[in-house]
Order: sequence, then C-alpha cells, then structure tokens
Amino acid sequence: MSNHIRANNKSHIPSGSFLFEKFVPAALIVMGVITVGLILFAAGVLLGIIHF
Amino acid sequence: MSINQILPFISTIVMLWFTVDVLRRFLVRRNPAFLFWGIGLAMFGAGSFAEAYLSLAWNKWIFFVWYLFGAALNAAWLGHGTLNLLVRKKWVYGVTAALVIGSLFAGYLMLQAMPKLDEAVFTTSKPISEQYGTKVLDAGETPPIGAQTFTTPYRGEEVTAVRGLLPLGTPVRLTTPFFNIYGLITLVGGAIYSAYLFWRKRVMPNRVIANVLIAAGALSIGFASTLTRLGYGQYLYLGELLAAILMFIGFRVAAKPQSEEVGVQNTVPASAD
Repeated sequence: MSNHIRANNKSHIPSGSFLFEKFVPAALIVMGVITVGLILFAAGVLLGIIHF
Repeated sequence: MSINQILPFISTIVMLWFTVDVLRRFLVRRNPAFLFWGIGLAMFGAGSFAEAYLSLAWNKWIFFVWYLFGAALNAAWLGHGTLNLLVRKKWVYGVTAALVIGSLFAGYLMLQAMPKLDEAVFTTSKPISEQYGTKVLDAGETPPIGAQTFTTPYRGEEVTAVRGLLPLGTPVRLTTPFFNIYGLITLVGGAIYSAYLFWRKRVMPNRVIANVLIAAGALSIGFASTLTRLGYGQYLYLGELLAAILMFIGFRVAAKPQSEEVGVQNTVPASAD
C-alpha cells in the first residue's frame, strides 16, 4: 500500500468497525439523553420545581 | 490524607497541564476558541485546587475562588470555546459580551455574599460541595446526620433549614444554573454535534473519538455534581478527575494531525480543533 493510500485510509472512518458502527452511535445517543436529563434537572432547580 | 483529599490535587495538576497546552495553542493559532477554553480550564483548575485546599483548611477567599470559578463559571467558559469553534457568526460576539458581563456580575454578587458567610459551619470532615449551601427542609424531611439546623422566616413562612456557608436566598446562587445550563448545552451538546457530523461524513475518526471523550468528560462532572446535590458527594472528586483526564485525552486526540484535515477542516466544525 502506498503512503498516499495509507494516509487516505487514516482520515476516513473504517467500514465494518464495531467502534464506529455500534459503539459511537450508541454513546452519542446515551450522552444526548443524559444531557437533556441534566438540562431539565438544572432547569427544575432554576424554576424552583426541584428543591435543594 | 484520604483519597478524597488527594484526588482534587491530581485533578489540579492535570488541569494545569491541560490549560498550558491549550493556551500555548492559542498563542500559535490565535483562535479565540482556545482562549475561552484556556480560561475555562484555568477556572476548572482553580476550582479543583480550592476544593483540595478546603479539604484541609478554611480560607474564605479560597472559598470565593471555589464557588465562583469552580461551581459557577468554568463550564460556561469552556462551552463558549466550543461555540466559537462551531459558529463563526456575528451574534457570537453578543454572547461573548453577555458571558463577560454575566461573569463580572456573578463576581460582584459573590463579593456581596462574602461578609455574610456562615464560617462557623465549615468542617474539613465533609467535601465543600456538601456544605456550601443553606438548604430548606421540606415538611417531614429529616436533616442529614450531624447537620446543624435552624428555624427562620423565609419567603413569608417559617422554615427549618440546614446551615450552610452561603446564607439562604444568596443571589449569587441564582446565577449558577444559568451558567451551567449554557455550559452543558454548548460543551456537551457541541461535542456530541461535532462527533455526529464527522461520523456522518465518515471522516476524521480521531475527531469522532475526541469529541466523544470530551462529551463524556464534561458529562462525568455534570453527573457527579448532580449526585452531590442529591446527597452522594463522595463521587464528586472522582468525577472531576475523570472529567479532567477524558477531556485532556480528547483534546490531544483531536489535535493529532491527520491527512486530508486541511481540506475538510473548513467544512466540518469540531469542538476541539
């Protein structure tokens, strides 16, 4: 494999990779849900709905 | 020294290293995003150091640093750095002005609160995050073991509250959720959005991983802070250290040069350039 092709492969997501096909999308969804939950929690504190 | 006294010191060292790295990058590339990140990281580091100090001894100005930089402002400044990477619009200048003015106002409110601190309540046996706020007890709610309570009129009614360093109704506490919500949306939301864009375009796997790490790091501190507010303060320092390490690794992974980056850089935003 020439250096050029190797460099191209390095900057593209490999196809069939468990990390990029399964783990990353799942992690992004889970983190998105947690973020929304934390924002709602903080908003609840701000609005006085959740007491501390 | 207990593990909970050592962890904030380790976080401080990691954040100091991280801050120097980011500010050095700002000096080379002159990208304001790195400046905001650097300021946010410096605030995070100052907060970690203050936390470490307050686990050993009391100093009201160290508490000032801990609350203002560690609890209130750092997430917003970090998130604002991410916003600057993602968006190059004129309205971002307005948001920058609002952040600076808001931060100065929070500092002013904190200064106003300083003479009213209930310093007698301080103890090194509990994390500062568990003793800074005065908390009104709901009807039938029992105070935590060892907590000092008092009865006082508050918002037109007689309430029982657990004593904390900042008195009941301190205005500076009202500013904190604004900064933290803004920081959470821009820092975590920005990292998730960037990771998604790179992933969708099937390019720069390093930046996909980097943004996942940055989002996970920022979330770990958000999660640990929420647990602390729910009474599980023992996870806060671990969450902070995890946040510092994950974000630092994420930043380093994102900064690692990859081929074709120059061509794609202008079309795809990233939360850590």
